[in-house]
Amino acid sequence: MAEKRHVILGAGTAGINCIRTLRQLGDTGEITLISAERPYSRMVLPYYLNQSISESHTETASARQLLAWKVKTVFGRKAASLEPGQNKLKLDNGEEVEYDDLLIATGSSAARPPIPGAEGPGIHTFWTLADAKAVNKQISPKGHTVMVGAGFIAFTCFDGVLGRSGKVTIIEVAPRILPRMVDETGARLATEWLENLGVRVLAGVRLKSLQPVDGKTRLSFEQGRGFTADTVLLATGIRTNLDWLRSNVSWVEGGGLKLNQGIVVDEYLRSSVPNVYAAGDVAETRNLVTGAQEVHAIEPTAQEHGRVVAANMAGRNVKYAGSLLMNIVSVGGLDMASFGSWDDGNAEAITGLDPRRHAYRKYLFRGERMVGAILISPSKETWLENDVGMLKGLVQAGSPLGGWKEFLRKHPFEIKKPFLAARTTAALIPRTTLGAPTPSPRA
Amino acid sequence: MKVLKFIPDRCTGCLRCELACSYVQTGTFQPSAAVIRVAPLEMHTSYAPYTCVQCAEGWCMAACPVDAITINAAGAKAVLEDQCVGCKLCTIACPYGTMYMDTGRHKATKCNLCEGNPACAQACPTQAIEWTEGEVTDWLGAFAGERAGTNLTGLARFTK
Ligand SMILES: Cc1cc2nc3c(=O)[nH]c(=O)nc-3n(C[C@H](O)[C@H](O)[C@H](O)COP(=O)(O)OP(=O)(O)OC[C@H]3O[C@@H](n4cnc5c(N)ncnc54)[C@H](O)[C@@H]3O)c2cc1C
Repeated sequence: MAEKRHVILGAGTAGINCIRTLRQLGDTGEITLISAERPYSRMVLPYYLNQSISESHTETASARQLLAWKVKTVFGRKAASLEPGQNKLKLDNGEEVEYDDLLIATGSSAARPPIPGAEGPGIHTFWTLADAKAVNKQISPKGHTVMVGAGFIAFTCFDGVLGRSGKVTIIEVAPRILPRMVDETGARLATEWLENLGVRVLAGVRLKSLQPVDGKTRLSFEQGRGFTADTVLLATGIRTNLDWLRSNVSWVEGGGLKLNQGIVVDEYLRSSVPNVYAAGDVAETRNLVTGAQEVHAIEPTAQEHGRVVAANMAGRNVKYAGSLLMNIVSVGGLDMASFGSWDDGNAEAITGLDPRRHAYRKYLFRGERMVGAILISPSKETWLENDVGMLKGLVQAGSPLGGWKEFLRKHPFEIKKPFLAARTTAALIPRTTLGAPTPSPRA
Repeated sequence: MKVLKFIPDRCTGCLRCELACSYVQTGTFQPSAAVIRVAPLEMHTSYAPYTCVQCAEGWCMAACPVDAITINAAGAKAVLEDQCVGCKLCTIACPYGTMYMDTGRHKATKCNLCEGNPACAQACPTQAIEWTEGEVTDWLGAFAGERAGTNLTGLARFTK
């Protein structure tokens, strides 16, 4: 049989993990990588902004590496449409690319709010390397930076913003900050912490317009007085990059390729067209904890998807176990993490709060199993990393905790005993994503 | 394959392993800087030394967005410090709770098996830690289940 022609669309986390894994598995097929942008990691852009790393450090596959992997690259081009019946991808310059199997890993984009002035000069999103460079250029140590939207992504770049601005204001339309990452208690702790750092936090305010005035931006609100900013960062949500597919209505509606929130895939990450795979922010896969089909736009999910797709392109028939929601963010020295079904309203919640230490724990239980967790502690607390990983392990393993659940109710900050005694380690050791040990990424 | 084997019955809780570890890893005698941590059980009458099992998946390594975790000559997942950006993704990806942060330098740290000559095993006066041929296994679960179990009996007494 002739070597397969693999086409990888998107050089982000999922795309590069797929390519690396194909070669690690010894697949010698032809690989063509087509991407609007060159390979870099979006999630390390905050460290470029806070000036702890250089631009080159964000790169995930150098030209040399791609050459070593024998990858043909087409950068700066976008996919425009797909002809699944003919195994053809059409690019925005009209060029056509044929494939034997295709991975769609086009990720997501930052969405700007639909208000006047949102596209104006000096108004930035923080999603791409180009965005990061623009912010890097504009942000000024004496200036007032306003962050619009107080979700997870906003807080990933908060430290960089704080360190490089004279004054910082955060505004959020929801009644509290981090509405999709922590609960109310968590948001209150975080708000107090931010205010202690001298940051102004305005929750429950709706932005009406952004207006350029003398090189600054004037922010007006539905209610209350407006003010001016030197730099405005919009972190008001993301949109899955599937517009180019959705516009292909004829065959999408005709059942050509099933789309829901994302591309609907089976447990092998194959779409409804068997030689078209999807991974990362565009793929809708099984939630490890609940079993529901969902889009999880997070880095670890994109990595796992990319690797599983590679194994299946290489003919290994690897099933994807499911995606575990997890996030951690450090906000001016306060670490906040959440896992799994942390906001499951029907689960039994066990909480522990130590306000003097700014420490908070919340464990969500379905019966004897932990299905979600929230952890907040100052970054300098040594116990933090022990606990944060073990909580992931407890949710991932789903081990029944028996009497240890009641123990946690009395001692919510003592996670290690329940973790060890419930034999979580033994349950986790056999688990691998591809059914084999993972090789070193740099080998 | 050589692994760190733990025999928790032999552990006296002297914390020499933590001191040796922190000294070799960071040049200081400071348990909080160690990447092996002794878990006190049964109101500090039993102890279990705990560190990375060097799992086959390498959740930390797979999660790192900049490939800053690799496999060293001793077979350990090891952090390349100049590559680590301090994003902490490895600390939530590792389901064992054995990825740590050097909070002063904002770098991830973990057991790298001292490149094949683990200081903890050498320092342990009671051979509760051995560097030996073996499999990756859970050395502590059964012991912790039995010894920490008194916490539960105690609790039952409390709540009756
Ligand atoms: C600032 C920031 C911080 C983050 N922090 C975290 C974090 O701490 N933890 C976490 O879990 N996640 C984080 N994320 C999210 C994480 O980066 C994404 O979930 C991850 O990058 C998704 O990977 P992906 O491969 O699906 O898509 P991406 O990495 O977005 O890659 C998509 C690729 O497709 C290309 N592309 C798009 N459209 C087309 C097209 N039509 N044709 C061709 N190419 C196209 C893009 O140029 C890009 O190269 C962060 C994201 C940002 C922006």
